[in-house]
Amino acid sequence: MMEALTNLFWILIFPGFVFTLAIGLVASWLVRKVGALVQYRVGPPVYQPAVDVMKLMGKEILIPQEAQRAVFVTAPLVGLSGVLLLATMLWLAGAQIGFVGDIIVALYLMVLPSLALILGSSASGSPHAAVGAAREMKLVLSYELPLVLAFVVVIIKTAGRLEPGEQLSLVALSQQAPVMSISGLLAFLVALLCVQAKLGFVPFDIAESETEVASGVMIEYSGALLAVWKLMQTLMLVALPLFLVVVFLGGIGTSLGGLLSGIGKYVLIVVLVILIKNTNPRVRIDQAMRFFWFYCGGALVAAVILATLGNYYGLAWL
Amino acid sequence: MIREELDRRLPEVEEKLIRIERTADNRIYLLCEAEQVYDVCAFLFDELALRFVISTGLDAEHCFEVLHHFSDDECGAVVTVKAFIRDRAAPEIESITPLIPGAEWIEREMHDILGIDFKNHPNLKRLVLADDWPEGVYPLRKEVQL
Amino acid sequence: MNWKMWSLKKSVWVFHVNTGACNNCDIEIVNLLTPKFDVERFGIKLVGSPRHADALLVTGGGTRQAAIRLREVYRQTAKPCVVFCMGACACGMGIFEGGYHMAGPIDEIVKEVDPNAIIAYVPGCPPKPEAMISGVVKALAAI
Repeated sequence: MMEALTNLFWILIFPGFVFTLAIGLVASWLVRKVGALVQYRVGPPVYQPAVDVMKLMGKEILIPQEAQRAVFVTAPLVGLSGVLLLATMLWLAGAQIGFVGDIIVALYLMVLPSLALILGSSASGSPHAAVGAAREMKLVLSYELPLVLAFVVVIIKTAGRLEPGEQLSLVALSQQAPVMSISGLLAFLVALLCVQAKLGFVPFDIAESETEVASGVMIEYSGALLAVWKLMQTLMLVALPLFLVVVFLGGIGTSLGGLLSGIGKYVLIVVLVILIKNTNPRVRIDQAMRFFWFYCGGALVAAVILATLGNYYGLAWL
Repeated sequence: MIREELDRRLPEVEEKLIRIERTADNRIYLLCEAEQVYDVCAFLFDELALRFVISTGLDAEHCFEVLHHFSDDECGAVVTVKAFIRDRAAPEIESITPLIPGAEWIEREMHDILGIDFKNHPNLKRLVLADDWPEGVYPLRKEVQL
Repeated sequence: MNWKMWSLKKSVWVFHVNTGACNNCDIEIVNLLTPKFDVERFGIKLVGSPRHADALLVTGGGTRQAAIRLREVYRQTAKPCVVFCMGACACGMGIFEGGYHMAGPIDEIVKEVDPNAIIAYVPGCPPKPEAMISGVVKALAAI
């Protein structure tokens, strides 16, 4: 009973929903503000993302006649719950609470928001949403493989330092910083681009491109359901860079110095995401697929070879 | 083509026309009857290789007129074929769309708004009037009061 | 004022509808959304779907073809929403008054769907972006 209440507290208040939402809203404002400053203008005030969500909660929900009501209404909630559990797990891994195999659970939970987006837009009953769903499906197929391969590189680099049974634990992985080696750096850069695509930011915001398919995947959503999608995107802005911090950059840590450096690493990744977002145009879906499969895949094959060679010859910087 | 060559070759089609008018240095009108319009346009498009610009339809009091404008991009002259449709009760003229596919929509618009029937037009459906506009009411005819 | 109205005033998402305009007003609306006038500091954002919108920026006089579509777009906009008639043609048909192809000014078309619609008028041919900002601010203050 006590354990159930503790878990509920972790998931809903700290470090779960409320805490992650607060950080996510500030990060979301940061994205818009830096984008505005880059364009020589003043951006929105600090409370703008929060007010957007509040306003959406107050509008009416319109469901199209041809939409599949059950999937249409539950898809945003499924996506939100997936990101919520992922964020909670990652914060707890920073506090050294985890279990063996939780990196597999994390990888599965990371797919859930994209899957929910595809389901929700397919259930919308609109040709624009169908085009958006098809594009999102192709994009997910493109970047999931490089993302998993990047984590394989990280696991290869733990050989010799961790017991074989312990390698699949986020807590154990967060003790080392693979980005300090060549193969780790390659894997980190590829994973960063995959995270950019998963967040739905330019240059990979193909599914929700406003000008092309009239905001494709979310075209038929309105009111509180749209607010849930926005909340999901806000939470993803916390969860996904945090995943990169835990796996590549050495985790968060519980002491004060570790906490501050962890926050610094998270801010660094968010700044990188914003920089890539503001300096690139949107790519076509076939260009994105070619980029992820051939260029990122090729880079990762080189990284795997380098990591294996490094393990064989005992060179930690390879 | 240069101006002298244009002046030299235009009289080749003169027997099909009523007359040739030159209102300005680079503005030439070829007046003809409705039956000759396809042959004259074929001459201008195929033989002289002029570029089709647009067409105009208008309701002169005693007849309908259909003007097809062709441009000579090298010397800057615009050659207009002015066809008179004398029958006001059932106006019809041969369509130049089989010759110039780009004329399809402007002829549809002239049919919608003036009621001119274009023979051999591949797709004479409603284009610019609203879907619930009544059939047979042609807004730009002089006798229609709206 | 309750939290719904306050948050609506602080975050207005606009959707642009052209019901037969000459494109002059459309160009001025697109000018409005460029970084020079920076309407994002008021929370104004351009969205791609009427279901996400709080304000419809309607340009052009209501032609018969566009009137049917405008009513559909208005029904698809999640309430509460404001309709902004931008330009002289939207306010009262402009120079196309009496034309055979006009169905009426925008406010009559919208009121056929919803007699209690909130409609704001921004006259001009075309209205300057500063006039549009002033119109939006005055309308939001009066709600």
